[in-house]
Amino acid sequence: MEDSTRRVLQRLIRRIPTPQLKTTLEKWSGMTVAQRGSMDYTQTKWALTEKLLSLCEENDWTTKHITELEMIYVIDNPNQGMWHGFQLLDPEDDAHSVELTQFKEQFKSHLGELVRHVSVKIKKHTDEAVWIRIAWGDSFSRPNHLKPTYVVHHLQTPYVFVTGLTSKQKPLLSQALVLSTRHHTIKDANLSGRKLTAIRDLLMKQYQQVFPTNFPSPLAEKNETVSNPKIEREQAGPGAHRHQMACEAFGDGMLPQLQSAVYKLETKFKDHTNRTMTERDEPFKCIVKFESTNLLESLRYCAASGIASTPVTPLLSSIPLKGRNYFVITDNGPGPSSQMHQSQN
Amino acid sequence: MEGTSTKGGVLSLLSLLEVQARSRRHVPPQRSRVKELRAEAEALRVRREQLKTEIQTHQSLQRLRTSLDRQSTHDEEEEEEEEEEMDEDSENSQLLKLMARHTRVKDLLLAHHLIGGYDIVKTRHGKGVCVSVATAYEGVCLETYNLEMDLKPTLRICRHNVPPFVPLSSLAEQGDMQTDIRAFLETLSQHLNAFAGRKQQLKLVKEQHKTIEVMESNALCSILVLMFTVPKTKTAILCTLNYSDHTACLPARVQFECDVKEILESTEWRKNCSLLMETPLHKALMTMKKMGNIV
Repeated sequence: MEDSTRRVLQRLIRRIPTPQLKTTLEKWSGMTVAQRGSMDYTQTKWALTEKLLSLCEENDWTTKHITELEMIYVIDNPNQGMWHGFQLLDPEDDAHSVELTQFKEQFKSHLGELVRHVSVKIKKHTDEAVWIRIAWGDSFSRPNHLKPTYVVHHLQTPYVFVTGLTSKQKPLLSQALVLSTRHHTIKDANLSGRKLTAIRDLLMKQYQQVFPTNFPSPLAEKNETVSNPKIEREQAGPGAHRHQMACEAFGDGMLPQLQSAVYKLETKFKDHTNRTMTERDEPFKCIVKFESTNLLESLRYCAASGIASTPVTPLLSSIPLKGRNYFVITDNGPGPSSQMHQSQN
Repeated sequence: MEGTSTKGGVLSLLSLLEVQARSRRHVPPQRSRVKELRAEAEALRVRREQLKTEIQTHQSLQRLRTSLDRQSTHDEEEEEEEEEEMDEDSENSQLLKLMARHTRVKDLLLAHHLIGGYDIVKTRHGKGVCVSVATAYEGVCLETYNLEMDLKPTLRICRHNVPPFVPLSSLAEQGDMQTDIRAFLETLSQHLNAFAGRKQQLKLVKEQHKTIEVMESNALCSILVLMFTVPKTKTAILCTLNYSDHTACLPARVQFECDVKEILESTEWRKNCSLLMETPLHKALMTMKKMGNIV
């Protein structure tokens, strides 16, 4: 057994918390039933690692087996690391008929042409998502299995989610993806977060959106104690309206758990009392960052409760509407790097 | 000649009469017949009562319907009047009211479907509209999709919940949305309804046919690979259904793969191929099962 395989296994076991270790190993085909039964999960992590290393020797596991185990763990626990959203653009006519086996072959061959040493593993998850694990090497070194890139793509959609990608590998991956999905270009979707599920749901619109309709669905009954029926009745109208507006902007029910939104301002400083700042030629640069365990939920609450005004400002509603959480805001008018034309008031 | 024959005739007639007279004494069978008839009459009477009440219910339903229709046009003017008439048997009347409302809603739904089936709501004080496209398959209402559009300066979709694998933007470009929104909505509705139909079929297959393994499917439900098992020989047959026309609920191509080539060359499996291309998947599988072609 190779030393590198041992290292990959060691590193992986260290990453997996003991409670998850059992379920992960059970889904893996590398161990016999008897071997699985002989595992004692009450032991320390160190002892478990030693045991698995000896099994590794015994069963003659290769790196392929270990990466398989790693994929099982990552697919089951996707909300780790920083995930970035990408969007494929300009589909070709046959982009909609790309199917799995064809995609697998194409992706592997395209990436193989670009990088000499690369190890690609593709697996389809039950929710129709295609998971790709890439271990990169270069012309002189073998694939590094300790720092793999994970890519998640839903076939026939223009969205790709990536984690663990360096800027050097980005153009290579982009090219392989663009060619194998039959598109012309790929762009950064300006959406990132620690939870893959959240950014996926946001980009693929897999959350409950609310639209204006003649037949509003009955709101769930609230068990709030009515302190003053008259005041309640008076406030019910505007309250319900605010709630509707908030839901139209951010969605209803469980919202994707986005944790941050960043606004990079490159605007003119406007304040008549402060002339030195106002008369500066260079744009006034600052970064505004919103952070929360569930940012969209917080924003929806702000709008529904009246803390933020309704209709919701496009600056905030753009997060779910455009599916992004990184914005560069420049002054309206001639500006070279205006990624988002939005007047700041 | 005649005399002799009548003589014999009289005797035989007499004996016949005697037999008849004797048999008349056996009244019981007749009595049971009477009983039968009585029971039948009773049953018919019960049926008559049933029909009568049915007619009554129907009439009161009709009355309620007309009053409901009137209400919706005259804004609840005559509501009070109707309430008085009906409150003697409150539980029944409530049920009747519900039934009347149900038939009304059904009729409205049908009418809505007939005129195109889109709900259009003005938004932002007339600066935009929100269109909803309903989907249904085999009479079952499924997902409703919405598009919020800006009207000015040009018609533009600003928000929607159409799944990402439905090529909304290319449909909008192709269909020339600016000049012919109806045609665009029509195509979009075809795509969405076909998608909903395929998805529903797949759901039904998974529910109704546990013995058939779904090997492969995609989010758009445009490619489907199933595994059949032939009874007796237990041969596995791989069936690939390709729905390359995304506006259709039926596959454009059906392909079988099997190790035993003779099976696929049989007339039965040729028939199965055309069956799968012409009938909804879950029904076709049902037929194939009944014919004994698959487990």
